[in-house]
Amino acid sequence: MPRLLEIQRAVGRSIIGGDDAFAARYVLADGLPPEARLGIYRNNFTGTLTAALKLCYPAVHRLVGAEFFEGAARIFISAEPPRRADLDANGEGFPEFLAGFPPAGAPSYLAGVARLEWAVNRALHAPDMEPLDLARLGAVAAADRDRIAFLPHPSVALVEVDHPVDAIWRAVLAQDDNAMAAIDLDAGPVRLLVERRATGVEVTRLEEPAWRFAAALCASRLLQTAIDTAPEVDAAALLAEHLAAGRFIGFELVDGPITSGLHS
Amino acid sequence: MSASAAPISAERGPVPREAGIGLRFPHHQAVLDERPRVAWLEVHTENYLGGGTPLAYLEAIRRDYPIALHCVGFSLGSAEGLDLGHLDRVHRTVERIGPALVSEHLSWSIAEGRYLADLLPLPMTEEALDIVCRHVDQTQTVLKRRILVENPSTYLRWRHSTIPEWEFLAAVAHRTGCGILCDVNNIYVSACNHGWDPSTYLAALPPAAIGELHLAGHNVRQLEGGRTLRIDDHGSRVIPRSGNSTPRRWRDLARFPP
Repeated sequence: MPRLLEIQRAVGRSIIGGDDAFAARYVLADGLPPEARLGIYRNNFTGTLTAALKLCYPAVHRLVGAEFFEGAARIFISAEPPRRADLDANGEGFPEFLAGFPPAGAPSYLAGVARLEWAVNRALHAPDMEPLDLARLGAVAAADRDRIAFLPHPSVALVEVDHPVDAIWRAVLAQDDNAMAAIDLDAGPVRLLVERRATGVEVTRLEEPAWRFAAALCASRLLQTAIDTAPEVDAAALLAEHLAAGRFIGFELVDGPITSGLHS
Repeated sequence: MSASAAPISAERGPVPREAGIGLRFPHHQAVLDERPRVAWLEVHTENYLGGGTPLAYLEAIRRDYPIALHCVGFSLGSAEGLDLGHLDRVHRTVERIGPALVSEHLSWSIAEGRYLADLLPLPMTEEALDIVCRHVDQTQTVLKRRILVENPSTYLRWRHSTIPEWEFLAAVAHRTGCGILCDVNNIYVSACNHGWDPSTYLAALPPAAIGELHLAGHNVRQLEGGRTLRIDDHGSRVIPRSGNSTPRRWRDLARFPP
């Protein structure tokens, strides 16, 4: 008699990889071939996860159409089956998958739009966390300020893409053909800040130096390193804006203990 | 929305003994605006494990309605053990919402760390019974509350099963103290698919353990050779049973205390 673990691994191989050889031996046929019974679960797996990917990547879906999307999703899902049961948390690898997917008629900016949509999805579903208490920051001794490294709010993402994907994304979701036609696809890269505010998810275009500064802060680089990364910006003003917007949930003093709200 | 019938637990909980309904995202705002006259609401827990708008809506709705959290992702029957990260995320949502009921399925969904996105059938063996009971115990310990375990719709059975599903489910309730979420649609679907007698199934469930009933519809698929297979979708209309089976089914359900 097979152990439960063997059965479950075999069903996993059947559902994800289409290999029924082991699992089918233990399925009662009862008027329907075991492979057909396993196929019901495989179809549910693909259908459920494709629907979840569509919810996460609505602009990609509209750009390429249902047939292309479902074909790409099927290959992606079996290559990178989900690790989590909360389906909003899966699909992170889809933009990179699309970037390497044979571009049969797919626009060059498709993977870039997907990267923005993943950041938006992540911002939508990030856990609620209290922003950094500024009094804690004020209490840091002057001698320790160089050692500050901020911890970004989990909804915040800094995305740099080769095409104006923010404009494309908005036009596609609004189904605004005039706005789409007005976009200069060769306008060069855009640098975006994606975050969840009280009113919803916001996508903001930043100038390159300000984006570089924000990206260094959100990568938890030392404050001084972030300032050195972008010497041309008014670091004090930008930092004040990030703090006021609640983009950090804490900070650590590097080589020192974590003093963030993460553990409070 | 799918319909759920009255919770009829012998242990009086904060859920009224009246019909509740399943709540989906598109209806969040309408519930807050219109305050429909419904005794309680049930949601899929996995849609509320992050923060932001969904959880904020659920917290607002929670002020006026008892909430049942219905889970699909514990994979109580996984031989490789529970996903502790998932258990922790559900625990946080349970603490924040303070639900009247928490339920999960008699099934498994995770193999080698991969989520198979369905409620897969277990071999009905002593080994699987031990594993499910261990995981129900573990879940109830972490959540610090009794959970309900629901019978799933199934489309296959394992050759080496030795225990009827209804006895297996009753044994899980007996050994762990968990309640049973009796899904009448799922019993009907599985009974049709496997040639079981739904009355036998219902008769085997201990009335005192029943904490909730589910009513929903399903989809009937025609197969080659004239066979049909019933697939649970919980989206179709509740199917009226034909012939004289309906009164008999309700008589079976009447065993459960009001």
